[in-house]
Amino acid sequence: MRRPDSPSCRQCKHFQNDAQQVEAALPGLSSLSSAYAAVRCSDGICAVHERYVAASSVCAAFA
Amino acid sequence: MAEFAHAAHSQALVRRSPWGELFRKEDWWAIWIGLGLIAVAVALFAGGGSIKWIAVAPQKWSRLADVTQQLKVHGVQYAALFVLWAVAFGIGAAALGIKITRFLPAFLLVYLAAGSLYFLGQWDQAAHYNLEPPLVALGLGLLVSNTIGVPRWLDPGMRVEFYIKTGIVLLGAGLPLTLIAWAGPVAIVQAAIVSLATFGVIYFSAVGLGLDRRLAATLGTGGAVCGVSGAIAVGGAVGAKKEEVSVAISLVVVWAIIMIFVLPLASRALGLSTGVAGAWIGTSEFADAAGLAAAQTYGGYAGNVPGIMGSPDAAVSAFTLMKVIGRDVWIGVWAFVLSLIATTRWERTGVQNKSSAAEIWNRFPKFVLGFLIASALLTLVTRGFDYAAYKKEVVPALVAPLQAFRTWAFTFAFLSIGLTTRLREFASIGARPFYAFTIGVVVNVILGFVLSTQVFSGFWNRLGQ
Repeated sequence: MRRPDSPSCRQCKHFQNDAQQVEAALPGLSSLSSAYAAVRCSDGICAVHERYVAASSVCAAFA
Repeated sequence: MAEFAHAAHSQALVRRSPWGELFRKEDWWAIWIGLGLIAVAVALFAGGGSIKWIAVAPQKWSRLADVTQQLKVHGVQYAALFVLWAVAFGIGAAALGIKITRFLPAFLLVYLAAGSLYFLGQWDQAAHYNLEPPLVALGLGLLVSNTIGVPRWLDPGMRVEFYIKTGIVLLGAGLPLTLIAWAGPVAIVQAAIVSLATFGVIYFSAVGLGLDRRLAATLGTGGAVCGVSGAIAVGGAVGAKKEEVSVAISLVVVWAIIMIFVLPLASRALGLSTGVAGAWIGTSEFADAAGLAAAQTYGGYAGNVPGIMGSPDAAVSAFTLMKVIGRDVWIGVWAFVLSLIATTRWERTGVQNKSSAAEIWNRFPKFVLGFLIASALLTLVTRGFDYAAYKKEVVPALVAPLQAFRTWAFTFAFLSIGLTTRLREFASIGARPFYAFTIGVVVNVILGFVLSTQVFSGFWNRLGQ
């Protein structure tokens, strides 16, 4: 069981989930959807793994 | 980049109240704006008045002099309507983090262009020349954005989803709750059949072609559930590569735009009723905004194109029931199930995703709640009126003004789709994702057609009457 305050992508400096930055990184997203939409939750882009991940994810490269 | 990462890091460390979500997501702002307008309209109606003065809309015209005359008579109302929209959307945009000083000038241009298209749609020869406002807005926007280009300062004003969600909440006011309860289950059954089949076809085609399972799932949900929103929801839930999400977005947008033109034209050629065509579009389009553009276009044919039966509103109503109630609301379930499979069955990546049932609510498209509340509210307010009184009193004072607000919101969205779709910026798709997705599109369109025109045709035809 993971502790609620254990480090996740949400607190990682390699993680970017600002809506404007997400829309800039994913061309076409704002044409028929939005980074401000509820369905996105707090997902963002991991600069280390180049993946689009949930903010609750964890990895060994946390910084 | 380091500064950028540091800013994000600092921002993330600030603990946010879960109630803050009510003001940080555009779904909620669509609810506040849509329900706010409905509440004011109902309050005025209950007091014997109406909100119709500010819910101004172009009327039918045949000569340009008629347009000038309408603008002269109603100019102040159009200015007041702009202020109302600018304040409502401006506050929402500011809360979302979009600078209001950048939003307002861009929105002014969107409002003026949308108003021009709204007027064009009221020309008595518009149907004769196929000048349906949604198609003209989209075509014009695509042409401009992909030729001369759209200046970047306009970007903050072109919020397709914000406008379309607000319009859908307002649309709830035109759909009685009893109709949703009657038609909802059929929409859910039809949508479930097509969603499962389309997802399966895309997913297994992609895996068969050697693509990564996370890309296959992202493509499958984009094609089967709710388009770009489905792709980003599942892409994040399974931890897809960034370029895989980009590929899925590009494919969905390209096919969705093609279908905006194909589905209404095919339905027209086949002489489908508005209810049946709306159900087909709701089953086989990929995104809400794209589908509403197609459905509203088809609704515009009723009464203008010989042989098209059904009421104009039936196309949009059937589309909304099928797409929003039948498909959109299940995205959280898809995301949860696929994230569970990804974490337990698929090959590991460097990032470990956490699968949780809370995903079902977290990713739920909240604007649907506004749509249902709007429907319940209007059903409650109008229940004491018989049909004659409803037509004479309720429609002009309450329903028609809310319908005008909705049409404005949709027109802002349709225009913004074309203007924000810059095809040259899209990710390079690649042959295998294209084949996998396209096979799914073919299955989706055929299955949606058979279910809408054969299996459930009687049901959808009745909706149109």
